[in-house]
Amino acid sequence: MLSVALPRPVRQFIDNWFDSHNPPSRDSILLHNRRLYILPTRFGYLFAIMLLLLFLAAINYQNSMAFVLTFMLTSLMIVSLWHTHKNLLGVTVHMQIPRPVYCGESCELKFELSHSNTSRRYAIGIQYLEQPPVYLKLDPEGSAQAKLKIPTHRRGEYWLASITVFTRYPTGLFHAWGWLKFDLPVLVYPRPATGVTLEHSMIEQYDGQTSTSTIEGDDFAGLREHREGESLRHISWKAYAQGRGLLTKTFQGQARPSLWIDWDLLSEGSTEDRLSLMTALVLAAESEEQKYGLRLPGVLIEQGYGNAHKHNCLQVLAVFRQPTGNHEFRPADD
Amino acid sequence: MTRTTPEVSQNLAMRSIPQEVTGRGSVFAVCFCFLFSIAPHFVNLPIWVIIIVLIALVWRSLQNIGMIGELPKWMLIPLVLFGGIGVFAEYWTIVGRDAGLALLTVMTSFKFLESQRHRDMLILVFLCYFLIATHFLFSQSIPTAVMMFVTLVVITATLITLNQRDDSVSVKERLQSSARLVALSVPLMLILFVLVPRIPGPLWGLQSEQRGGVTGLSDRMSPGKISNLIRSNEVAFRVEFEGDIPAQSNLYWRGPVMASYDGFSWHQTPRRARSRPDLILSEAPVNYTVTLEPNGEHWLLALDIPTRMIKDSIMTGDYQLINKQEINDLKRYSMQSRLAYQIGVDESAGYLATTLEYPARYNPETQAYGKSLAQLFERPEEIVEEVLKMFREQEYYYTLQPPALGNNSVDEFLFGTRRGFCEHYAGAFALLMRSAGVPARIVTGYQGGEYNEVGNYLIVRQSDAHAWAEIWIENRGWLRVDPTAAVSPNRIESGIDDALADEDSNFRIQNRNPIFGNLLYSWDNLQHSWNDWVLNYDQRKQRNFLEKLELGIETWSDMIFTLMFLLLTVTGLYWFIAWYRERPPRPQAYEMMFNRLLKKLSKRGFRKQPAEDTRAFLARLPRDELPQRDQIAAIVELYNRIKYGRHGASTRALNSLRTMINSVRI
Repeated sequence: MLSVALPRPVRQFIDNWFDSHNPPSRDSILLHNRRLYILPTRFGYLFAIMLLLLFLAAINYQNSMAFVLTFMLTSLMIVSLWHTHKNLLGVTVHMQIPRPVYCGESCELKFELSHSNTSRRYAIGIQYLEQPPVYLKLDPEGSAQAKLKIPTHRRGEYWLASITVFTRYPTGLFHAWGWLKFDLPVLVYPRPATGVTLEHSMIEQYDGQTSTSTIEGDDFAGLREHREGESLRHISWKAYAQGRGLLTKTFQGQARPSLWIDWDLLSEGSTEDRLSLMTALVLAAESEEQKYGLRLPGVLIEQGYGNAHKHNCLQVLAVFRQPTGNHEFRPADD
Repeated sequence: MTRTTPEVSQNLAMRSIPQEVTGRGSVFAVCFCFLFSIAPHFVNLPIWVIIIVLIALVWRSLQNIGMIGELPKWMLIPLVLFGGIGVFAEYWTIVGRDAGLALLTVMTSFKFLESQRHRDMLILVFLCYFLIATHFLFSQSIPTAVMMFVTLVVITATLITLNQRDDSVSVKERLQSSARLVALSVPLMLILFVLVPRIPGPLWGLQSEQRGGVTGLSDRMSPGKISNLIRSNEVAFRVEFEGDIPAQSNLYWRGPVMASYDGFSWHQTPRRARSRPDLILSEAPVNYTVTLEPNGEHWLLALDIPTRMIKDSIMTGDYQLINKQEINDLKRYSMQSRLAYQIGVDESAGYLATTLEYPARYNPETQAYGKSLAQLFERPEEIVEEVLKMFREQEYYYTLQPPALGNNSVDEFLFGTRRGFCEHYAGAFALLMRSAGVPARIVTGYQGGEYNEVGNYLIVRQSDAHAWAEIWIENRGWLRVDPTAAVSPNRIESGIDDALADEDSNFRIQNRNPIFGNLLYSWDNLQHSWNDWVLNYDQRKQRNFLEKLELGIETWSDMIFTLMFLLLTVTGLYWFIAWYRERPPRPQAYEMMFNRLLKKLSKRGFRKQPAEDTRAFLARLPRDELPQRDQIAAIVELYNRIKYGRHGASTRALNSLRTMINSVRI
């Protein structure tokens, strides 16, 4: 590719130029004049060569209608240059924050394209790197959604490369495009190992109290004084209505068993294998409604449960000892 | 985590779009597109090529719906060889207009069989664009031009089909978009056509090629030759005169002159260019411009006799204008002629000897009659008068359907059938003169023409083709004698239609179609203007036209500069119109004014809720803190009247709303 031949300062310069002209955004980017580029396609060049041949033939044969045809096709090319550019100008691209995925799954990049013009727009493609593009069209003042599925092959936290929005409509002689840089991370959790259960020997079981009075549990135990900071959900509104003040309901029951998922206790294996295993354990613990914590060299996550806790743990696993270097999000087949 | 700069390669390289197998709809569209582009050529192609086209299209369509499989790749080489050999066998060449077209057609058909991918389809569409150009090698008429625009719309619609990426755009919508693209291209095309500097061609040697199907005068004359030509109603040339059009009987358009006779046909002798002028002129010249249709030969037609030379042509000793190239395209030239003249007084003895020769074997009766005339009369003028008297007074007929003649054609005609056309009379007359010892030769060309009053010019058709004789008399030179005039004075005085009134041959517009005559004259006038302005628009015409505009566009750089300026202006105009028509709808003017008021109020802390009614909002405004409340109440009232009232947003109401809002100080 082109970059190979370019010396470093030139590359740097071009890079800076592109970055300053295509500033990144967190959600929406409007494709205005300065963000749009247009060049002939291969067929555009072929068409131009054909025009040149026709022109020479017209001169040679002094054939007026051949001149008319040549000029007609030249004009068609000029008009389609403008139409192709117009087809993309003024489109707003909104990107949703990509949801984290497990390694091996496809990451979905979701976009919404919209415009407020009274024209129709056709065959607008949206493409991530060399992945197959998705095409859509826009009705007057309309919008449309596009979903790109990018296969993943490495855990970690990545930054999105620029996304290309392009069109070749109507004649395919020109390729108009814009580069959209979204400042959004893509999180790829480690691939969960299969066949893992909580009875796994490498989990440090935590033998806490088996029975306690807590605001969580199955059986109603009684009411007590509300303490500041407790959830409003647990207030007995019935008692409040009776004028007894704010009282918190307490329950008796089996407290969640809690456990530690500990890096050091896992058997020998590669970092990736261990992280896979730990991911699977996090998922198992979560599905069996246990309290769990995470111990990694240099990282400790206190015990807890719930969706937020799970994602917290998985994120830590995702970026743990992530190889340094280019953290650009690249699809699997790379 | 630090954000790393992406590789430059992604920024610079246009990302490739993966190759796609093309959709079903696209294949049908391309098949139709090719058929549409090639169909007008079916008359120019051998039948086997047409069959190949149809087979290829049917095959590709069936393959498209899955009824037959793909053609194995190895089949292509034998097919291409077969096509090439087939074309060679047909034309004995593979270049040139006809063979080239056949080859292009055959190869495009084979390309269909192997086209599976998107890019193959695009290449086929490009070939269709190219095919349009080949039509103009055969015809550049107005209908062909109209057909070009229609074909352009069809091909461009196919291109749109290939680039729409899904079948979501309806056929109608595609044709509309395509028609719009073509229509928007027309003004740009006109700018380019007028202003792109024309370079005189040819750039490389043109292969001279006998073009079939062109009717016109031939370089030999034998009985039946011209009467065949006369059946053609095609236009030979059109003439604009600078003054009055000379009388019909003076309109002798000089073409090939024939001095050599073999007993049956008359031929041209080797041409000699004129060395010096030898004519004695006696009358004011006639100036005119001829627009000659392609005749596939070298001769230029001019009124008897031409007195001006034109570029790239020579004038022979017998006052024939010979173009250096074959006339395969429309040719326009200004000419000058003298209707009264004296030529060839000092004709060379060698040439005069040629004009006395005839083979003794044929036509003995004619020869004997000629010799007897020479004994009877002393002066050649008397002999001429005697022969013309014979044609006039005896039972000679002027007819398009003369009986067939044998070896002694002149004898049989003069003393037997006595029915003939101009070439019979001219030929017989010239032979009689030669036998009587008077030098004589045949001149072929056209006589007369039809006046088009719509465009004020003369139309000369192939049906006006004519042949006459010239005899040489000492001290008087070559004199025109038209024996046909003796037989049928009508032919010369009022034209071919009147002369052949009995034979139902109507060549002229007014005779053919008395009702739509004027319309047909207008049509012919349109064709004439087309020839003049479009087909003849060359370097000279361009220069003249730009001079006439008086805009100071003289040099190439002027032209290019003007061209660029106009192209940018027109595309800028397009851009503006599109921007204006497609711009996002704006909020109504009164909403914008009212929003200004709301903004002022919100600065003071009175914020209208999005769903709140304006009147409810007004009620909420405290009178004590806002002394302008009454003013605001009036504005709200007017706003609601404009928005919901029957007479809505009248200019007056809008103006008073603006004044009221501007006058509120908050």
